[in-house]
Amino acid sequence: MPSLRELQQEFVAAVLEDGAATTLAITPARDAPERVAIYRRAVFANYRNALGATFPVVARLTGTPFFNAAVDAFVRAHPSTSGDLNIYGDGLATFLADYAPATELPYLPDVARLEWAIDEASRALDAPRAPESVLAALGAVVADRLPAMRVILEPSCRLVASRYPILRIWQVNQPDHEDDDRVSLDQGGQALLIRRDEQGIALESLGDGEFAWLSALATGAALGIAIDAALEADAAFDLGTALSTHIAAGTIASIIA
Amino acid sequence: MPIPHSIGAHAGVGLRAPHVRQVLAERPHIAWLEVHSENYYAGGGTALAALDRIRVDYPLSLHGVGMSLGSTDPIDATHLGKLRRLIDRCEPQLVSEHLCWSGAGGRHLNDLLPLPYTEEALAHVCRRIAQVQDFLGRELAVENVSSYLAFADATIPEWEFVAAVARRTGCKLLVDVNNIYVNATNHGFDADTYLAAMPVEAIAEIHLAGFEDIGSCLIDTHGAPVAPDVWSLYARAIDRYGPRPTLIEWDVDIPPLDTLLAEAAKAQSVLDARDAIAA
Repeated sequence: MPSLRELQQEFVAAVLEDGAATTLAITPARDAPERVAIYRRAVFANYRNALGATFPVVARLTGTPFFNAAVDAFVRAHPSTSGDLNIYGDGLATFLADYAPATELPYLPDVARLEWAIDEASRALDAPRAPESVLAALGAVVADRLPAMRVILEPSCRLVASRYPILRIWQVNQPDHEDDDRVSLDQGGQALLIRRDEQGIALESLGDGEFAWLSALATGAALGIAIDAALEADAAFDLGTALSTHIAAGTIASIIA
Repeated sequence: MPIPHSIGAHAGVGLRAPHVRQVLAERPHIAWLEVHSENYYAGGGTALAALDRIRVDYPLSLHGVGMSLGSTDPIDATHLGKLRRLIDRCEPQLVSEHLCWSGAGGRHLNDLLPLPYTEEALAHVCRRIAQVQDFLGRELAVENVSSYLAFADATIPEWEFVAAVARRTGCKLLVDVNNIYVNATNHGFDADTYLAAMPVEAIAEIHLAGFEDIGSCLIDTHGAPVAPDVWSLYARAIDRYGPRPTLIEWDVDIPPLDTLLAEAAKAQSVLDARDAIAA
């Protein structure tokens, strides 16, 4: 008789690994493989539904049979580690980048990254908006302390860049999109800020300098280092405009001088 | 802010995402609401904001699906911490989880898997329930799950296992009458024997839902009306236990809210009939 630990590990393997014969003593014995298959079908249907809700554009771009097969492969390669199904799906983008059947859709991993960023933004901590107090704090910083200053972004902010026009791809694949749904990949890449505001999820296309600046700030880099990153990406980057824009919009939650 | 008090022995419904907007806008008369705890584990966002408003007007129950109480993996402290944060935030009248496990060896299946009903599993799950109750500082109501297979090494009838959990840990029971019916059919035992084995004083809540008959067994889909046989079993349960808070669950192919409320009204009429006898 297996220990509880052994039984549980064996059962998980039997459910996840399709067709795996189980040595577990199950009743009804004559129907054991089919009864395990009931759990297998329910488990995979659950993940297909959950990830289909998190990655609706990926599902639409690939079609349901392809998407379901990709989800099944992802679940087997990267099983859930949490009892909260709402936070499952991190890593699907990276998985798709190496998923051989998806190579004909080179933009697919980046669309998945965008949808995961949207999902994360929707679950992020609530944060009060206080642009006036950020401006006041900024005004109090003496000039030679500016390079060492930290700029804290609002918790829902996510930054995703792609060499493909992922915002356009995302937009034309929304259920309520009308008119022209053609996308030219020659349009080039897009760099996006994703965040949650009072109206819901907002997607904003950024310039290269602005994107490099916010990305550096998001990693905790000091303002001086973020400015260097921005200027490297775009020599015309203007700090004053970037600061005032993102303080007014609420992207910047606070500063630490 | 005044918060509604006891759930009482009334029939409520499980609140699911498609009905949240309607409940907020129309504030229909519903005795109480139950939500899946994990759907409100986020640090913010629209779902949590909606729950903040809803719980002011409706008694609330938090029903978890992911604690994996019977797993041999360590309890997920992050998951448990989020539950405590949610309890602090919305002050529910009831907090429940499932008498099951969901994963092992770091792999979670996000499903409600049956335990082998053995002394080892009983001792293990009782330790875990005690651990969770200690951490939360409150009683947990634990629900019997449906199952489509059993482990041949089981030595304890399921109903004795469930009753022993309540006696040993002092936890409450959430008796799912549909799950008893499904398991009685799938495993060939007498549902009334199961009902009779439940310690009456521990029963904090009753669940009702619909199943699907796939021929070889019944599947607890939560995607159909409560079956006539389950209504009969429910009436016998209420006759035996007295009125208890009762919840209608519907999770797939979710119908209009009015359909759920009509099911709740049927349950309420069973509760009212029992009250009339008692009076």
